[in-house]
Amino acid sequence: MKHGEEKGSMLARLDWIFLFAVLALMGIGILFIYSASYRGDNEWMTELTRKQAVWAVAGLVAFALAVMTDYRQLADNAWWLFIVCLVLLVLVLFMGVKIYGSTRWLNLFGIQVQPSEFAKIGTLLVLAHYLSPPSRDMASAKTFFAVFGLMAIPFVLVLQQPDLGTALMLLPVTLALLFVGGVPLRYLVILGVIGLLLSPLGWYVLDDYQKERILVFLDPGRDPLGAGWNKIQSEIAVGSGGLGGKGYLMGTQNILGFLPRTVAPTDFIFSVIAEESGFAGAALVLGLYAVILGCGIRAAIRARDRLGRLLAAGITTSLFCHMFVNIAMTVGLAPITGLPLPLISYGGSFMISTMVGLGLVQSVYVRRIDR
Amino acid sequence: MKARNAPTTVLDDDLLRLRLMLLVFLLGIALLGAFLWRIQVANTGQYEVDLAKQSIRRVRLPGVRGCLYDRQGNVLAENRPAHGVALYLEELRQPGPLKRTVDHVESVVSNLSAIVQLSPEIDREAIRTHIRRRLPLPLVVWRELPEAALARLVESGLSVPGVDIYTQPVRVYPLGALACHAIGYVGRAEPAKVENEEESYHYYLPEMAGRAGVEKSMDDLLRGEAGGRLLRVDVSGYRRNDIGMRTPRRGHDLMLSLDAKIQQTAESILSDTAGSIVVIDPNNGDVIALASSPGYDLNQFIPGISSENWKTLNDDPNTPLLHRAIAGTYPPGSTFKMITALAGLVNGKARPEDVHHCPGYFRLGNVTFRCWLRSGHGPVNLEQAIEGSCNVYCFHVGLDSGIDAIANMARAFGMGDRTGIALDGEARGLVPDAAWKRRVYEDGWRDGDTCNVSIGQGALLATPLQMAVMTAALANGGIVYQPRLILGVRPEAGETFRTLDPVVVNRMLWDRKHLNIVRLGMKDVVMSPTGTGRTARIPGVVMAGKTGTAEFGRKDEKRRHAWMVAFAPFDAPRYAVAMLIDEGVSGGETAAPRMKLLMQALFPESQPAAVGGGAG
Repeated sequence: MKHGEEKGSMLARLDWIFLFAVLALMGIGILFIYSASYRGDNEWMTELTRKQAVWAVAGLVAFALAVMTDYRQLADNAWWLFIVCLVLLVLVLFMGVKIYGSTRWLNLFGIQVQPSEFAKIGTLLVLAHYLSPPSRDMASAKTFFAVFGLMAIPFVLVLQQPDLGTALMLLPVTLALLFVGGVPLRYLVILGVIGLLLSPLGWYVLDDYQKERILVFLDPGRDPLGAGWNKIQSEIAVGSGGLGGKGYLMGTQNILGFLPRTVAPTDFIFSVIAEESGFAGAALVLGLYAVILGCGIRAAIRARDRLGRLLAAGITTSLFCHMFVNIAMTVGLAPITGLPLPLISYGGSFMISTMVGLGLVQSVYVRRIDR
Repeated sequence: MKARNAPTTVLDDDLLRLRLMLLVFLLGIALLGAFLWRIQVANTGQYEVDLAKQSIRRVRLPGVRGCLYDRQGNVLAENRPAHGVALYLEELRQPGPLKRTVDHVESVVSNLSAIVQLSPEIDREAIRTHIRRRLPLPLVVWRELPEAALARLVESGLSVPGVDIYTQPVRVYPLGALACHAIGYVGRAEPAKVENEEESYHYYLPEMAGRAGVEKSMDDLLRGEAGGRLLRVDVSGYRRNDIGMRTPRRGHDLMLSLDAKIQQTAESILSDTAGSIVVIDPNNGDVIALASSPGYDLNQFIPGISSENWKTLNDDPNTPLLHRAIAGTYPPGSTFKMITALAGLVNGKARPEDVHHCPGYFRLGNVTFRCWLRSGHGPVNLEQAIEGSCNVYCFHVGLDSGIDAIANMARAFGMGDRTGIALDGEARGLVPDAAWKRRVYEDGWRDGDTCNVSIGQGALLATPLQMAVMTAALANGGIVYQPRLILGVRPEAGETFRTLDPVVVNRMLWDRKHLNIVRLGMKDVVMSPTGTGRTARIPGVVMAGKTGTAEFGRKDEKRRHAWMVAFAPFDAPRYAVAMLIDEGVSGGETAAPRMKLLMQALFPESQPAAVGGGAG
């Protein structure tokens, strides 16, 4: 073969350390979703736990399918997939289900799905596909603008829902692709400077509740019973966890309802983990993410082609950004955003899209060249 | 195909960029880890404080109040359990708006009301107030249920969750009105004012504080020490569980020097009149009886006195709330004459053998002072003057001695100041002298004033307790004791009482001769056939005493306090008594027969055989 040998079966070539870390985080997620939804009346399993377990199995199936799918064939259909994603995003705006003031869900055959989750993968795929040909001139302004133009379509559509958090996640992924793809650094620096200069204008784009979240982040005492509540209570939960935690099912912030029941299993699942298992548990979770990120970058490094490299790097960046923003929010290091914690937070669409993405990383990895 | 996807090389610039990316990721994770360390390990205490502040509530638990006993061990005040019904709102809460919980609680209350067949003590507003102010605490629907209602409730199985029997201690005075002024009563305490506590509490349970009598003056000992309970509440403020408890310390039990039986006799002697009887043991100052009439039933103050009852007590012209024994001040009249005599004897201005002639009046300038015996006593010596209560003799002695000598003697007996008995609200009385008259009337002291004071009149005022202390000192040879009302204290039930030592206020350095002549005069008052107090005599007991009739009010009204002081047995006194009848004819006529009844109770062994018992 021209590009070296692929030795052994696909199973043997799979990154088992990576998979182990993924399974561990999924297990931790189910364990603490149980704790976050536990009401002490001796139910052996809560509704949310049961559902999350189903999503985890579905996620593993999606992961396996993604590993088996040749990412190159997938990229061949990138444009079609991208268009399907965009159509779904448009459909959401017209016939989506409205929950908590924003329209993010679409009812497909009785299951509520969140098209923006899949649009992240579709966009990543189409950008990687666009950047991968050797003929692509990374130094040309045309490439640069084309990439941002492509990204802007789903960005604007997601922003309309509105889901600022998810939309913003497209930015670092796009930048990571340009960075890894070899765009001259000066382009990125100039872009960064322009972005910084324009960011104050962003204030006028924000909704009132988003402005409030930022103000609360800067001054938590501003509205302790309203917008500031989750932030304050989450910090108390994490801080009072101490070194070893209060014990499983014993987190009082969660049990007593100070950490609201509606967000404990989803956006604030890390607070529950940190309260009940302390710094030890929180550090373990961070360590497992570090393993996945390391394995993701290794997959990018050893990818047999540019497409694989871009895909692995982009997906790893997306995972890192979700993880970082979510945990930073729960410990009070960043304003409240509606971003869940990958592999752990309760939620079906996000679980499946995450697992598809991680499966694609492995799809790249199993097709690496052993040099 | 190939043109669309470039193969990679290991020497790419890409590789450096990928490693840089991983570095950024790992730095991000390290940043999160460091921040977690900061808030979870380095500053965890601060968050624990915040956590406690919002989810932990301290409830103050009052100590169980100590009991009161008389010197024989009879219970004067104790606590009995009152069984009521309380609701535990954390088990009754309803999801959704607060109104639903209030509705539900209200329906539970009306169901219970149907079961016990009593209307509830709380309404919807009370439920709302409770939820707003005291949510984690049980909501008491009935403080105390009659036995039948309680039985109905228990029979119904108490199957409603969140409903339970709620037991609280309630103060009870088994002897009702007996010694009511001395014992006193309790009332609902203002928790914040209970004491200056270092720790603050979120919630206070109802607590009793002494409002009168020993209950008030000994409140510090009786109250015990408050404990506390730590509750965990959830975000809505409902109780989740108890996480800690400091048991309150029970208050001390007190043994009073009172003897309930003698107190009972004293009160029954006064049952038809307003007045006071104080019985003191002259050997140690023990207050055996401290009666003030009229009285009132202490139990009407528990748990709180009704406003009608309070109004009745306050408006009664006989002032039942006035503790006459310690707070009523009266001119002592002739019971003061021993002090006049002693003032003369001690200062050498009078001798026992001095004889003065009493024509029935005494002229001082152009003013005539009368002896109570209009016909006059004739020539009398000191002993006879006391026996016959001769005013004229006392005028002579008083004028010879001067007001300062008399006032000093009176003060040496403790008059004009509080005795220091363990009760609040004691009156000082008044021992007038020149300085006092100048201050109050801006006028000079005259011989007429001295004459008045010599026979216990004028501005002179004393409490029955002061007169009892004086009598005790005459009985015991000159030791003035502080009246001892609290005999013993015990911190724990079951232990023995730790006795408090008697307190000597003053020791008179009298010549025995002087004291004896006064005591002999007092003996004659009762024992001589002509003594003014002879009707107080009982067979088998030699006693000494002095009657007194003090005028008060407008002169033409002729209103009189009737006094008698006495001690017995004469040779080894065991009791010293002061008796005051608010309004009477005279000491001899009004007080002496009552003194006899009292003495019969004090010396039961002296009684003649019961009727019919001595046949044959």
